[in-house]
This record gives sequence, structure tokens and C-alpha cells, in this order.
Amino acid sequence: MIVEKIVEIKNISFFYGERQVLSNISISFAKQTISAITGASGSGKSTLLSTINRLWEEVGGARVEGRVKIWLEGQEIDVYERQISLPELRRKVGMVFQIPNPLPMSIYKNLTLPLKMAGIKNRDLQREKVESVLKDAFLWSEVEPRLHEDARNLSGGQQQRLCIARAMILEPEVLLLDEPTSSLDEGAVFEIENLLLSLKERCSLLMVSHDLAQVRRVADSAVELVAGSLQ
Amino acid sequence: MSGTLQVVFSGRRLLFLVTAGGVFVTLSILVFMIVLGLPLFTSNSFSLILTQDWAPDRGFFGIFPFICGTLAIVTLSLLLAFPLSLGNAVLIHLLLPPVAAKFLHRVVKMMTGIPTVIYGFVGIFLLVPFVREWFDSGSGMSILSAALLLALLISPTMILVFVESFAAIPKSQVRAVAALGGNLRQKLIYLYLPGAQNGILTGLLLATGRALGDTMIALMVAGNATAQPESLLDPVRTLTAHIALVMAADFDSIEFKTIFACGIILYLWTATLTLTLRFLPYGVLKSRLNRGLS
Repeated sequence: MIVEKIVEIKNISFFYGERQVLSNISISFAKQTISAITGASGSGKSTLLSTINRLWEEVGGARVEGRVKIWLEGQEIDVYERQISLPELRRKVGMVFQIPNPLPMSIYKNLTLPLKMAGIKNRDLQREKVESVLKDAFLWSEVEPRLHEDARNLSGGQQQRLCIARAMILEPEVLLLDEPTSSLDEGAVFEIENLLLSLKERCSLLMVSHDLAQVRRVADSAVELVAGSLQ
Repeated sequence: MSGTLQVVFSGRRLLFLVTAGGVFVTLSILVFMIVLGLPLFTSNSFSLILTQDWAPDRGFFGIFPFICGTLAIVTLSLLLAFPLSLGNAVLIHLLLPPVAAKFLHRVVKMMTGIPTVIYGFVGIFLLVPFVREWFDSGSGMSILSAALLLALLISPTMILVFVESFAAIPKSQVRAVAALGGNLRQKLIYLYLPGAQNGILTGLLLATGRALGDTMIALMVAGNATAQPESLLDPVRTLTAHIALVMAADFDSIEFKTIFACGIILYLWTATLTLTLRFLPYGVLKSRLNRGLS
């Protein structure tokens, strides 16, 4: 069986100032699967993830060497090409963080913000998409009566599902997940894992996790990072 | 009572005394001005002073032109300084590379320490001749010159407060918006400006207070004319400049009493501004949160 690639990382090395965090990493990830990157704290898992959507550039004092290729809508894109539009790239490569980070606004506004930023201003369409992603995130019945309340009032698990819904509203082809359940209780972890499994059909998921049991439960493949190198 | 508790209680008592002392001094200043300006209030001339022109030789001791002059200079300087300061804060916090941002931040910090009289000198020798030549009108000492210079004076305060407010926005939120594909303009509109609105209002309040209270620039550059201004190129006298000029030459006359009216007006303006802005952001934020619009 030929496995279609979605992301290919080639000879990536990453430096924070003088400190090398990743050493010459080459790896590819298959389309419409859940690929896990495991490793101990400080092994460079999250950094590796941030080289795919170039989010590391938001922090000063770092540099990267190597290439990352990504296949979006069937087209091969060199992530580190000069002409690439970062906002466009990040709309196609969504990201969910370790600690849920709803923005200080209502649940509804949290979900319509990415749409507005992508130029989707039609309110009916926005409403439709909000309802759809909230249903996909198994959150609709819980938040429907309070869509206009502050998103930060939700529980930790609900906040994380909202963040996944927010990342999914732009229908990304790749979803990067940086230890999405590490700050949640057992019940919430189970809900998120079910959600991730259901998303696999629509996009490719790259998940950082140090929880090997979780990796066994949800991931189709896994690689281990040890001190910035692939094991 | 244990030692720790005793320290806590005496600490609280000390803080209470300091706070009460501050409130007492602030209220004493108001009482002092009202008492010394009492002859004005009792002689029913306070309203005349507020509305009449200043012409002591004809028996008119009104400070209305000074109120207009002050408001014109303060308003114009804020209109000039606010966008400039916001732009600078965005430049420092979001656009410049770290080394350049640090350098500019230090320059701005240094500017807050420059004595006002230095700004006044620069104004007299550089700005006033420029305004005179450019507009080919009058002496160059005018509302415009004073407002331009005052804008320069109050900008550093605003820039520093704005930068601090931007820096206080949680990094997790910044990363969230970036990961959603937000560009710089969108980050500014959807995250930084709403998130920093309290700080922006505080910066504006501090700058307004500084502009209202400035005396030296008004004295040196605004022209000190007592006539009602009709254009931005007219010279004016501000309330603070009036206080300084009259105090230097007089001590017991109706002219002298008018400086207490000026003081009371300045005090009330500042107090109103402080109280309004202190309660406004909280109210605005609260209602916006309730509606889920923040």
C-alpha cells in the first residue's frame, strides 16, 4: 500500500541562541492518520511541531536550518520558502496547545475570529460553521445556551475542545497538537481522545505526547525524540 | 498576639496612615484654594470670572480666554500625541527587532526625564521660527506651537504605558491568534487593542493630566496673549501660565484672586478625568463581557 505523505521534515536543526534543540531531524508523516511524537520533557517535541507552522518565529532569538515540505490541496509547499504567506499557511495547518488558550471573549467570538481573520464575513455562514464545529467537538449541547458567555468560564476539558473546534473551523488539512490533554483530568482526556479519533477522517493529526498509553490508544504511528534527535 | 500578626497589623496601620495622609493632603489643597478664593465666590463674581474676557484696565477679570486656550492646546496636543504614541508602542512591542526595540524604548524612557524647560528652549529656537516661517503669520508663538511641543512632552509617558499594557497580554493568547493565521493588523485589532484598553486609557489619563498641568511650555511658547483665540495660529495664555504670571507680579488684588479660580478649575478637571476613567474601563469591560463582546 502506498502511503501518501502530508508533511516531510528534512534535515531540520533548531537553535535557541547558541543552544541546539533539534539535530538534523528527517521524518515524514502520513496523510489522514494520527502521528505521535513522544519523548521526555525538553527533548524538543514541541519545537519540532512549531517548525511545521513556523510558530517558533513568534519568539525572538531562534533560528532553524533544513526544510519542511507540506502537501496542501495536493500541492507541494516549501514551508520555509520566502514568498510563502504565514497567515495562509497557519490557516491550513491548525494548532492546539498544551494549556487551553481561549481568547478573552465569548465562546461564539472565539470561533468566529479565525473566520473573520480569513475574510469570511458572512454572518449566516459564520453561524452555520460555529454550530457545525461545536457539534463535531461534542460541545454543542453543552454550550448552546451560553454561546455569548466568556469562553474562559468553561471547564478545562470544554476549553480544550473549544480550542480544537476553533482550530478546525478553518478546515485545516493538518492539525498540530502539542500535548493537548496533559493539563486535563481523566474524563476530559477520554473526551478529547474520542474527538481526535473522529477528526482523523478530515485531516492529518500530528500529536506531541509524553503519555505512551495515550499514544497506543490513539496514534497510528509514533516516533521518539531523545535530546533533540530521532531515536 | 504572635509576632507575625503584630507585624501584619502594624503594617496595615502604616498603610492606612499613608493612604489617609494622601487623601487628606489632596482634599486640603482643594479646601485651601476654595478658602483663599472665597471673596470671589461670596461677591457673586465667580460666574463673571468664568465667562468674561480678561481686561483689568476696564474692570474685567474673566479667565474665559485662558480656559479656551488651555482646552485648545491640551486637545490638540492629545490629538497629535495619541496616534503617534500608539504607533510608537506598536513599533517597539511588535515590529522592531529586539535590539532596535530595546534602544528605542530606552530613548523614550530617557525623554520622560528631560526637564520641560529644555523642551521650551527647543520650542523657542527651533519650532516657533519654523511655525512663523511656514505659516507666514504672527510671531509663531501660538496654540499650534505649544500643542506640537506638548505632544512631544506627553508622548513618552503614553508610549511607555502602552508598551507595558501590550507586554501584559498573555503570550498564550498571542500564540493562539498567530496560530490561527492572524497577521499583524489582526493581532492588533482583535488582541492587543482590546486587551490593552485599560492601559491605553490610563496612558491617556496620565498624558492629559501632564498636558493640563504643564506650565513651562505654555509660558515659553504659547505667546501668553490674553485675547480670545480665533485660530490655531493665535497666541494664547493657559490657566497654568496665568497662575505663574500673576503670582510673579501680584499678591493681593482681584487679579491675584483669579488664580484660585484657575486652580479650582484645573483641580476639578483633573479629578473628574481621573474618576471618570477609573470607573469607565471597569464598567465598559464588565458590560462587554456580559454581552460576550469583549
